[in-house]
Amino acid sequence: MNLTKKNTNGFCILSIEGRIDTTNFNEFENEIVGIIGGGETNIILNCKGLNYISSSGLRVFLIAQKKLMALKGKLHLCEMQPTIKEIFDISGFSTIFKIFETEEEAMA
Amino acid sequence: MALKLTKSLASRIVYYVLTFCIFLFLISLSVFYFFSKKSIEDTTYENALSLMQNTVYKTEQVLLTTEKISNNYKYLFESHQLNCDSIMFYTWLIVKNNPEIVGCAIAFAPEFFPEKGYYFSPYTYRENGELHSTILGSAEYDYFVMDWYLIPATIEKTYWCEPYYDTGGVDALITTYSIPFYRYSGNERTLAGVIAIDLSLEWLTDIVSSVHIFETGYASVISRNGTFVTHPNTDLIMNQTIFSWATELGSPHLRDIGRDMQAGNTNFVSFKHEKLNLIISYTPLVSSGWSLAVVFPRSEMYAPLTRISIVLIVLIVVGLGLLTFIVAKIVTRQIAPLKYFAKSAREVADGNFDNKLPEITTEDEMKDLQNSFEHMQKDLKTYIEHLKETTSAKEKIESELRIAREIQMGMIPKIFPPFPDIPEIDIYAMLEPAKEVGGDLYDFFLIDEKHLCFAIGDVSGKGVPASLFMAVTRTLLRSAAPKQQSPKLIVEALNKSLSYNNESSMFVTFFLGIINIETGYMQYTNAGHNPPVIIHENGDVKMFDVTKDIPIGLFAEHEYEEKEMTFSPSDRIFLYTDGVTEAENWDAQLYSEEKLLKCLSLANKSEPIEIVMSVARDVVIHVNDYLQSDDLTMMCIIYYGK
Repeated sequence: MNLTKKNTNGFCILSIEGRIDTTNFNEFENEIVGIIGGGETNIILNCKGLNYISSSGLRVFLIAQKKLMALKGKLHLCEMQPTIKEIFDISGFSTIFKIFETEEEAMA
Repeated sequence: MALKLTKSLASRIVYYVLTFCIFLFLISLSVFYFFSKKSIEDTTYENALSLMQNTVYKTEQVLLTTEKISNNYKYLFESHQLNCDSIMFYTWLIVKNNPEIVGCAIAFAPEFFPEKGYYFSPYTYRENGELHSTILGSAEYDYFVMDWYLIPATIEKTYWCEPYYDTGGVDALITTYSIPFYRYSGNERTLAGVIAIDLSLEWLTDIVSSVHIFETGYASVISRNGTFVTHPNTDLIMNQTIFSWATELGSPHLRDIGRDMQAGNTNFVSFKHEKLNLIISYTPLVSSGWSLAVVFPRSEMYAPLTRISIVLIVLIVVGLGLLTFIVAKIVTRQIAPLKYFAKSAREVADGNFDNKLPEITTEDEMKDLQNSFEHMQKDLKTYIEHLKETTSAKEKIESELRIAREIQMGMIPKIFPPFPDIPEIDIYAMLEPAKEVGGDLYDFFLIDEKHLCFAIGDVSGKGVPASLFMAVTRTLLRSAAPKQQSPKLIVEALNKSLSYNNESSMFVTFFLGIINIETGYMQYTNAGHNPPVIIHENGDVKMFDVTKDIPIGLFAEHEYEEKEMTFSPSDRIFLYTDGVTEAENWDAQLYSEEKLLKCLSLANKSEPIEIVMSVARDVVIHVNDYLQSDDLTMMCIIYYGK
């Protein structure tokens, strides 16, 4: 997994590359928690490069969502691959997160 | 082993040092030998030359003296009136005053003094130290045809006769020097006679035989026609010429040397013949036309060099032997501690970390080795102790995990068929954690005589944390279910309990159904779990709709949806966790819902156990020995109906 960060229009856009599974969810969790702890409250997770996510990874999404909700921030997901979208749909996570087709829509 | 190491190391070093030294010595010796040889040759040539010149000088002294005396008398006789009676006196005077001169004749031309007749040659000679005088010349002794008279008279030059043994009075090897003298009247010149001086060659023999060079080197004089005048081998003297000798030996080379000597050249040649290997140097005796040769065996010339070389070789051999011995000693001594280190290493390998290391007093690489060794011993000891501790801790954890697994497995129903006395229904389920313990769960139980409650769930994550959460979920389910008749309410009760103080944000995807075993009517709630599959007996397979509900444990106040359906007899429901559909192979390809549905459609007439097993087999084939990454759980229920 590889996370790249850029700031545009008041959003912190994080692009995820690769997989998030039981072997590296900790790393992902630390990074995203660190970013939220660093003061970012409007975060877009661009999932274009995300190939696979396990339930441990979903948990990290959820932690981020909860933290940002508490801070009255925003967590927008976008550009998900169909397989990832399916996982979100099956697990009902699609209803928890705001999921957009494109980055522009996520920023609107 | 240690000894062998020492030996071979030492012998290797000795071998290299020795090879190098031998190489060095060989080169030095060769260079030394080459230059020494050259220098010896040069020196010998110089010596031989100066020896010859010295000898020639001594010889020439005598010969020139003889010539000078003769010349004086020639001048005297040519410039003064001669008195025939005083001639004898002159001969007497010459012999008397010159010890080398053994005889002197002043032979006059025929009828020079008419009063003396045809022959007139006063002659004085030395015999046994006394002088005797006589008049030579008679019909028997016609000196006019003798070489000593005829040749100088004819060639009108001085003449040295070939040496000969005088058997007359002197009884020695002699040569005769003859000089013609003339009388002048106006421009006319007439031969007056010949002064002949007999010169004993004993002095020459003495001079020449006193020449010694090296061990057996000698000098020799040969006359104009090659006759040996002096030679250590007296048989040769006057009996052989160098040419006859060359013929006798069969050596053309010696003949050539002889010719060169005759030609009056000075040279330094090497002569090899059969066993002979000689150096011959020669130079002419100019006045007489003879040649002096200095001869010595080549081997003797190089004898000192050979001697020195032998001494050097002996010294080198002894030196190399000593060197070998000392190097071997030093190396063996220097690396001796290695033997002990090897022993220590073996003991360390056997687990004895406290054995004593050899004492090293020097501050060198051995000391470094000792320090490193000591350090290694200590580190190993600490490491092994640490390893023992961690191993025992690990074993403890492992045994605890095994117990945890047993407990966890004990929490899910494992006896199949579970309800042998309820013919309407049959169930089979399996759970295979990826680690010792896992976060998947399934459960089924009768709420009352008519209602079967069944559930399947998947806790986020794996391992111990997931297993704890699973245990909590399972326990809550068992306590919540009997109180509620509706899946929605049961799930919401579970969600509420799990969400409370859920700091770690763990969650469970959960499917719960309650089936009326008499009617086949089923109510269910799907909290974010993979949609189950209905298998109709005709082979149709249908996946449930994807839920809109979220997993439990997230938001306490979430309201879950409840849905319903009715089983036809022989309908089967297949429930699973994502460990099935997301089972990966080496190429990271997931097993997928498509494959699952295909597999299930082929098992439309099977018992639940067969269905579960065939999916399990299909997954195993797909995974193809790749690491199981997630817990694998399946449950299948068949509704036979009334």
